[in-house]
Amino acid sequence: MTIWLAIALGFSGFTALWRTMAHPAHLPPGLAGLSVAARRWLHWTGWVLLAASFVLCAMLRGPAIGSVLWLGTLTLSAAILVLGLLPYRPRAILPLAWGAPLVTLLGWLLLA
Amino acid sequence: MKQGFRQSMAWLHTWTGLLVGWVLLLIFMGGTSAYYKQEISRWMRPELPIAPTDASTALASAERFLHHNAPDATSWNLTLPDARAQVVEMYWMNAPAPEGAPERPAYGSATVDPRSGQAVAARETTGGEFLYRLHFDLHYIPALWARYIVGFCAMFMLVAIITGIITHKKIFKDFFTFRPGKGQRSWLDFHNVSAVLALPYHAMITYTGIITLVFMYLPWGIGARYPDNEQRYYDEASNRIADTRPAAGVPAQMLPLTQLLAKAQTQWPGVAIDSVAVFNPGDANAGVMFSARADSISNVVPSLLFDGVDGKLLSRSEPPGAATRTFGTLYGLHMAHFADPALRLLFFVCGLLGCLMVASGAVLWATKERPKHLKAGRIGFGLRLVDSLNIGAVAGLPIAFAAYFWGNRLLPVGVSGRAELEASVFFWAWGAALVAAFVWPKRAMWAWQLYAGAALFAGIPLVNALTTGIHLGVTIPAGLWSLAGVDLVCLGLGVSLAVAARRVQRWRPPLTASQKRAQPGKGRAVATTVAEPAPRGEHA
Repeated sequence: MTIWLAIALGFSGFTALWRTMAHPAHLPPGLAGLSVAARRWLHWTGWVLLAASFVLCAMLRGPAIGSVLWLGTLTLSAAILVLGLLPYRPRAILPLAWGAPLVTLLGWLLLA
Repeated sequence: MKQGFRQSMAWLHTWTGLLVGWVLLLIFMGGTSAYYKQEISRWMRPELPIAPTDASTALASAERFLHHNAPDATSWNLTLPDARAQVVEMYWMNAPAPEGAPERPAYGSATVDPRSGQAVAARETTGGEFLYRLHFDLHYIPALWARYIVGFCAMFMLVAIITGIITHKKIFKDFFTFRPGKGQRSWLDFHNVSAVLALPYHAMITYTGIITLVFMYLPWGIGARYPDNEQRYYDEASNRIADTRPAAGVPAQMLPLTQLLAKAQTQWPGVAIDSVAVFNPGDANAGVMFSARADSISNVVPSLLFDGVDGKLLSRSEPPGAATRTFGTLYGLHMAHFADPALRLLFFVCGLLGCLMVASGAVLWATKERPKHLKAGRIGFGLRLVDSLNIGAVAGLPIAFAAYFWGNRLLPVGVSGRAELEASVFFWAWGAALVAAFVWPKRAMWAWQLYAGAALFAGIPLVNALTTGIHLGVTIPAGLWSLAGVDLVCLGLGVSLAVAARRVQRWRPPLTASQKRAQPGKGRAVATTVAEPAPRGEHA
């Protein structure tokens, strides 16, 4: 379950970073551009989420194998976002970015 | 330099990548499948028992087998079963034949059932080992040449990765940019994204791949420092304790290996034993070495050496030095033996992204080149060659890999030289795909070959169900995920190839501006059908 939580946090982190970087003209329908303040806030949130997923991986497998695991989960979560959802299912991104960490966190707490 | 730095790097990237791209694709696909070498080997021997065995029983069985089949060998080496492999793999070195006796092979090997102590009663197959060897030994050519070829390709790949990073102008800005359905633009996007998302993996796997064979590529230092005893260098470099006692020439009764195993386990409480080596078995100077299973990234593991006759602990490996730990970590990262099932799956996904990166790069070259040729009115030799090789490799290699699995299930079990026949199925299938691609390197050929690969891959669970008793209907309810996983991954690859084939088939060239003006009423409808297809590399 920890790995799922790490992947979910990676996905939400990348989604936050994507929101700060995407040009308003390239946003999927239904999404507005962000104010400067929101952008800055999201930028930090994104990096904090990615860092949190590292902490989880390091807790699970130790810092050495944990870093390998972390990079693997980042590749997977970024691939789901960039190759899967952004071009083909853009409307699913925000619900997933909010829902996946909550659901996996709940599962993680229940199992722990 | 006439051109700018970035243009030179782009040139280098294009040509280093294209020149070795097709061999690289074979290497990447072989390596990616080799993450599941044990699982594939298990799947390919459906006759084997399923229940796991404890180390002690397995060792006793192995010892019985070796006493019976290789009593006068100079050494025995065996790997105990673990969660991934339920058999004992072993090999032994034969003593040179006595004067006048017929020659005998330098070594023998066997796969033994850990419970019965008999050679496994399974079909003759190389299993996942074939795919693993294909990754760096290729096939049909001497392993030494193959490893030079593979090393050459890997160096080119490393150059392509570095020049690719320099060439990629907006590596951070375009991190999230993939726009399908826009022709060449989409191919470039996909090539960039598949490279950047798994960049740590690509750089690591290419660099560490060269490192695994570095002693072969750069042997001169060893030759200078260890002129008479190269083996000593390898023993020291990998922190191996070697039993240097010569055979006494006096036969002696060895202690049972299980008794020594128990001693090793009291020395190392809680450590799993991976392999056992016996030097001079049956001799008064017999030595027995136990090596631990790697529990970290490094594949340099501690070992214990016992006297095989009186059971005394002769030596234990020192903690490895910095150079050995560095080498072991790089080597271990490449082999990924430390990976648990989840991490192994992530390595596999990264490997697939690597295949897609190489494939999309080769297709991108052809896509960029095509407009020039269309303008000239005929497809030139270079583009035709690249098109043929692209089809034969990107769409043809999946056919070959799937055919290998079919061969394992359909070739008659008793036929002689069966393992090599399975390998020829791989190369006949690939050869047929390549020939077809050279005869007719057109878009239709892309679709046909992708459909053929899709049908073959998706058919693997089916042919498995028709020929064996370890099909999905049995393995999923029993929770045998390492067996079910092979079927499920093949099915998934088949579905992905089918989606890719369908997209290739439905693709229509975008209308030129003058054609659009000629049919003003239909402009909007046409635009949506053109926007639909995605680059096929996405699923290839």
